[in-house]
Amino acid sequence: MNQSAPDTLERASDDETYYLNMGPQHPSMHGVLRLLLHLRGEKILDCEPVIGYAHRAHEKMAENRSYIMFIPNTSRVDYLSGMIYNIGFCQAIEKMVGIEVPARAEVIRVIVCELNRIQSHLLWLGTFMLDLGGVTPFLYCFDDREEILTILDRVTGSRLTYAYGRFGGVTMDVDDVFIEQSRAFLVRLRERFLMYHALIRENVIFQERCRGVGVISEEIALKYGVTGPSLRASGVEYDVRRAEPYGGYERFDFEIPTEKAGDCLARFDVRVREMEQSCRIIEQGLTALPDGPIGPKKLIKKLKPPKGEFYFAVESARGHFGMYILSDGSDTPAKIKLRTPSFSSLSSMPDVLRGTMVADTIAIVGSIDLVIPEIDR
Amino acid sequence: MSGPPTLDLRGKILETGESDYAVDGFHHRYSAGADQVVAIAEAFRASGYFLEMLTCEDRRADLHKMRLVYTFNRFATADRHLVLVELAPEIPGAEAPSIAHVLPAADWYEREVFDMYGVRFSGHPNLKRILLPDDVDFHALLKDFGRIEDAPDAAQPNSESPRDTSE
Repeated sequence: MNQSAPDTLERASDDETYYLNMGPQHPSMHGVLRLLLHLRGEKILDCEPVIGYAHRAHEKMAENRSYIMFIPNTSRVDYLSGMIYNIGFCQAIEKMVGIEVPARAEVIRVIVCELNRIQSHLLWLGTFMLDLGGVTPFLYCFDDREEILTILDRVTGSRLTYAYGRFGGVTMDVDDVFIEQSRAFLVRLRERFLMYHALIRENVIFQERCRGVGVISEEIALKYGVTGPSLRASGVEYDVRRAEPYGGYERFDFEIPTEKAGDCLARFDVRVREMEQSCRIIEQGLTALPDGPIGPKKLIKKLKPPKGEFYFAVESARGHFGMYILSDGSDTPAKIKLRTPSFSSLSSMPDVLRGTMVADTIAIVGSIDLVIPEIDR
Repeated sequence: MSGPPTLDLRGKILETGESDYAVDGFHHRYSAGADQVVAIAEAFRASGYFLEMLTCEDRRADLHKMRLVYTFNRFATADRHLVLVELAPEIPGAEAPSIAHVLPAADWYEREVFDMYGVRFSGHPNLKRILLPDDVDFHALLKDFGRIEDAPDAAQPNSESPRDTSE
């Protein structure tokens, strides 16, 4: 695997090379991504990602509606970490305006965000295995993921595109059933981790397809601004929850898993260990869930943030999600720029894919966990 | 172990602004001339920073300028630098030097700014649209289009405006 012959990058005469469109409707491409590959045999000479097929103009919509009306948009930007985006946007506005969040709401937010993160990683795990040709883990992962969707659906009213956050809190309180369900899920998931380890991690075929493939070095990550698990797999301990603590994360005890190799296997290990850390955070949150209100007495509908530029970042399941908000002092944002982690990860792909084999493309692109609607916004 | 050299922006920035990280999320804030962005990007790269974000603002209504917004950050400890670069207000016409050869992350960000705002980047290796189709004839995030509710055909079926949130 990935044994690039020394002549790989030599310019071949034109009748020896050809172009191949992988996507936008390729079965193993994630969403509508198109990779324009320049090939010589099975070797990739160059790669150009073509994006924009899922562009829905969220940033333009933001300039045409009041701050509160943008809340439902946020979870649709990245439908897999919708909760993190949703709560993150509320936290950004709270910081701009100076709204206090009650302690109970803050802990609920952390719990649901971490459940969302596990859900996103489980989906990634399943589809990544599917990319590599293993159908069985996919079904188990979706089974586990369904539990989270059911738990969150009961509390928030949505399975995927949440609008659970409000400025200063959340829409609905959690009850004892939620706590019981979450605890039972953690017990279940930890048992499943053992099975996943035996089923996937110890599988020689899986190891062979991932080890040493698609290395994203720290240097490439720095060049392209790659963040999240893909960065941590190359040994950099950067997590927004730790680097710029927000939403009460500084009160939780958790580790930031890192690996050294930067290959597909390292990214796999980082994400699996991250799920275990999320379990720890949820456990602490459930134990320490304080009583009290879950938001301001009266719903904050109209707000006018002070004029100026603001930046707020959260750690989504895929990395550093930043919001650059320009306020003109009115109730409508003058501009919101959504800095999404998948955009940066994908922009590094030409550098990573050059010199690899077509068959590895699927493993590499699958392992960086792209969500195309998040790239296109 | 010696770390990367400390950041030296002397002579590259026009003015240093006030910023309060606890409020606006920026540790440092500068304005700079378009002719200095390459030197600024090189200084940040040499000190181990990455280009966190690059975008543009249509400020023709209040500042009579287009304005580029760069933020640089580093992995070790958060240290966010906001660099604001004012450009000519004419679209097409506004132009800045590309920093894609210094920080490759800028390649796609600059293409997005060109796509959405029509600002051109001289020296960019492949300045074409990135999100919108290649054949559209507008730049979507310019404020040329008015607001949705100002459009004549945007009348709501119900008499109450959806933006009326007074109680």
